[in-house]
Amino acid sequence: MSSPLRIVIVGGGTAGWMTAAAFASVFGPAHRQIRLIESSEIGIVGVGEATLPHIRFFNRRIGIDERELMAKTQATFKLGIEFVDWARIGDSYIHPFGAYGSRIAGVPFHNHWLRQRAAGDNTAIEEYSLPIVASRMNRFALPAEDPTDVMSTFGYAFQFDASLYAAYLRGFAEARGVRRTDGKIVDVKLRAEDGWVESVKLENGEVVTGDLFIDASGFRGLLIEQALKTGYDEWTHWLPCDRAMAVPCENAGPLTPYTRATAREAGWQWRIPLQHRMGNGYVYGSNFISDDEAATKLLSRLDGKALATPRPLRFTAGRRRLTWNRNVVAIGLAGGFLEPLESTSIYLIQIAITTLIDYLTERNAGSPATFDPRVVAAFNRWIEMEYDRVRDFLILHYHATERDDAEIWNYCRNMRIPDSLAHKIELFRSRAGVVTYKDGLFLEPSWLAVYLGQRVMPRGYDSRVDSLDEVEARLQLTKVREKIKAALMRMSPHEEFLRQYCPAMPPPAMTGAPG
Amino acid sequence: MSEIRSVIVAGSGPIAWIAAAGLLRAFHHRRLEVSVVDTGASRDARVGRWTLPSQRGMHALLGIAEPHFIQHTGATFKLASEHLGWQGEGSRFLHAHGEIGTDLGGTPFYKFLQNAALTGTAERPEAFSVAGSAARLGKFARPMGEGAALTASFTYGFHVADAPYAQYLRAHALRLGVREATASLGEVLLSEGGDIHALRLTDGTTLSADYYIDCSGPEARLLGKLAAAEREDWSSWLPCDRMWSALGPATNEPPPLTHTVAAPAGWFWRAPLAQASMTGLVYASAFQSDEAARAALAAVEPALRSEPTLTRFASGRRHKFWERNCVALGAAVVELEPLAGADLHLAQIGLATFIELFPLARGSAVEAVEYNRLMAEYADALRDFTLAHYRAGPQRPGEFWAATRAQPAPARLADKLALYAASGRINLLDHETFEETDWAWLLLGSGCKSDAIELQIKLRLGKLSSQEVNSLRTHVQQVAASMPRHIDFVRHQAALAARVAG
Repeated sequence: MSSPLRIVIVGGGTAGWMTAAAFASVFGPAHRQIRLIESSEIGIVGVGEATLPHIRFFNRRIGIDERELMAKTQATFKLGIEFVDWARIGDSYIHPFGAYGSRIAGVPFHNHWLRQRAAGDNTAIEEYSLPIVASRMNRFALPAEDPTDVMSTFGYAFQFDASLYAAYLRGFAEARGVRRTDGKIVDVKLRAEDGWVESVKLENGEVVTGDLFIDASGFRGLLIEQALKTGYDEWTHWLPCDRAMAVPCENAGPLTPYTRATAREAGWQWRIPLQHRMGNGYVYGSNFISDDEAATKLLSRLDGKALATPRPLRFTAGRRRLTWNRNVVAIGLAGGFLEPLESTSIYLIQIAITTLIDYLTERNAGSPATFDPRVVAAFNRWIEMEYDRVRDFLILHYHATERDDAEIWNYCRNMRIPDSLAHKIELFRSRAGVVTYKDGLFLEPSWLAVYLGQRVMPRGYDSRVDSLDEVEARLQLTKVREKIKAALMRMSPHEEFLRQYCPAMPPPAMTGAPG
Repeated sequence: MSEIRSVIVAGSGPIAWIAAAGLLRAFHHRRLEVSVVDTGASRDARVGRWTLPSQRGMHALLGIAEPHFIQHTGATFKLASEHLGWQGEGSRFLHAHGEIGTDLGGTPFYKFLQNAALTGTAERPEAFSVAGSAARLGKFARPMGEGAALTASFTYGFHVADAPYAQYLRAHALRLGVREATASLGEVLLSEGGDIHALRLTDGTTLSADYYIDCSGPEARLLGKLAAAEREDWSSWLPCDRMWSALGPATNEPPPLTHTVAAPAGWFWRAPLAQASMTGLVYASAFQSDEAARAALAAVEPALRSEPTLTRFASGRRHKFWERNCVALGAAVVELEPLAGADLHLAQIGLATFIELFPLARGSAVEAVEYNRLMAEYADALRDFTLAHYRAGPQRPGEFWAATRAQPAPARLADKLALYAASGRINLLDHETFEETDWAWLLLGSGCKSDAIELQIKLRLGKLSSQEVNSLRTHVQQVAASMPRHIDFVRHQAALAARVAG
């Protein structure tokens, strides 16, 4: 067997510790030696308080006990994201973690709904989604396994304190042999012959060498950009928000099992309920509002008393040209940034980590660590595809709006969008067709929720639904609603469920971690 | 803008009748009128073909009972293809329509074989495949049970002659209510706006519909009038452009298996029928004359039962599969040597996609954009899989075989083969017909080397004991051996159908 791969992780936020925990768990000590360097002087961004259901695959793969994780991170459950005021002021829709009804006569459900609608039935499509109905009622239960049970038609994710999450993963990783070093990196040494990173030097003079370097240093990209000059593709012309203010506040009212994103005059505001507090933030474009005004607006729109002063953040939407360059893999913000509108930050970290784990090959005994360029290229293509698909989905939220009350909305409504997205919208608008793909995030129900929620109303629908007798079709739709209503009775109020399932420890010292 | 009430399918082969019957079934509720206009029996007609398992689903959709189909067409079952000599004299590998081993808790079993090959103890995948083992033994049964059961670990396609199949499908379509024009296609008439307005038939009458399906073969007699003839030419990768094919003698023990054998300028093939066999030579005219090829076929199969027919094709695809009110299926849009047996499959994907995107009104354009995007991906994926037979593993000597590897592979295939060579990993793109297991059959079977294997897979394989592997092999062999002889199964099906009819 080969000598263990020496992995050096630079940065200890969510990205760094997720990587450390995953590598430590999947590969035994005989195969890897992991060091994580973080500086307690440099604050972490603590990205992503709200997650997507995919995080559960990650947890399962590396062996994390979810109940314990929830209790230790002040976590709540999440069934979807509510979007308020996006297409028009006064609108609200939920992007659910689950399907609307199910195919009838081989045709996607929403076409049957559209047919009934054309016949004068005004039932909202929300009524056919258990996670949405449950969200609106603040109820929760774990999904069922039995695929014939309507309780199996949804998934869930978590809303948690990202700093506590990083701390939890740190414990998990250190227990599996990850060695943490507190220190600031002052120099990066590249190998003369091929420009690979040979070592990093700490402030105290220590030199840390490694085979594979993970750049989890955040936006600045200490290794991937500052050392390797990899380059960055900017997407600000499509996603003009470039700043955020984040502030926690006291909870008020029942804990919602969903995240809320409210469109504002220069961007949007997040609201993420945790057991002990509420996370809030205002994501905005600096072209459209000043920092001070954004902070003031944010503070005036909180559920409860602010628990800190707003913390500013800056970013540029886009993706690093290569996620894996030489022997450096950029994970988290070092790899790219897409605003947390659809809670994709942790997903993008996770997918980079699991893809890297899946692609790494064994090495021959005694040979030095090299990474086959063919594997690196395939990895980079995969990550690009993931980013591009998320990007198009985010742009849809901004572009498909009727709002004309603020400059940002006028800009986004009229901007030129990627051709791939324009085609998707046109297919939906003309005939309720949803472009789907095999890999990548966001399946048919997600696109559907956002199209309809953003008032992209189809002019027609798949005419195959007419093969089903109209009365029979109506009956089937009614049945779905009834099943959902019955299932609701089997669910508990979200707070009650949390109390018995994963009550959090007493609140720790306050950390204001933005989404 | 008005609703589509009628469709004319132009063509004579199996694809035309499948399209007509399929459309009628799908839009029965709205009384879609479907007519077929014969485009004249093509001189190029091939003797027959082998199909992918999707033909089973298509039969079910059209309401065709399989025993009835077997009885009336003389078709046989196909569990696998065997490719001889593609990687040099003496090389051979199987591609079966079934799993290789069983899933190892998220890791496919072929990874075990891949790892074994790295350490020099390669075993053939068919030893762990019910479909592969049964194919070798000349046995056949339908899959049974579900889930991870070995008896449910495979599927099958067919070997069928074109003339009886087209006739059979025609009779079925007419029974369903498809109409057949009294005369064949003369001229395509366009409207001022540029749509197809009507077809003038050879008897002088005209026939018109809202939509037209062009199944007229390489000539693309309808679509060719509308779309610029812009094509992607694949012939630099796939130089074969001709095929001689004919009926051959019956064999005593027809295997549920298609054979292909590498030849100096292409490849021979042979596929069994219930009462005969089919055989052919696919070759590149740049490397072999038609006469020489015909003589070569006669030399390999001296007892031909029919006059060989010559099929010409130019490997490639059109840029547009759907233009205005015309959609083309089959060789009218994609021409490819029949190696993968996927031409009916691709036409059927086209048909299903057209049904899914069936325009709500005439003159709607977004459907065609989506259709052309999807079908291009499907076609390119099929090209890649076909091409991979030529490019995987050791290279067979000879001028023709050198030519098949002279050009760099298309990027998407090059990427796939490169990743495999580096790590044993098989990545699929969005719309691929052949799945990971199919690629595993091809890449493992052809002796395609990988320099390493994924570390996490290697660690998981370490937990697999040789006892487990041996027991799997034994179990697979037992299941395969317990099946009836293929020919008995075919006869039994025909007898069953006769009894039902009687």
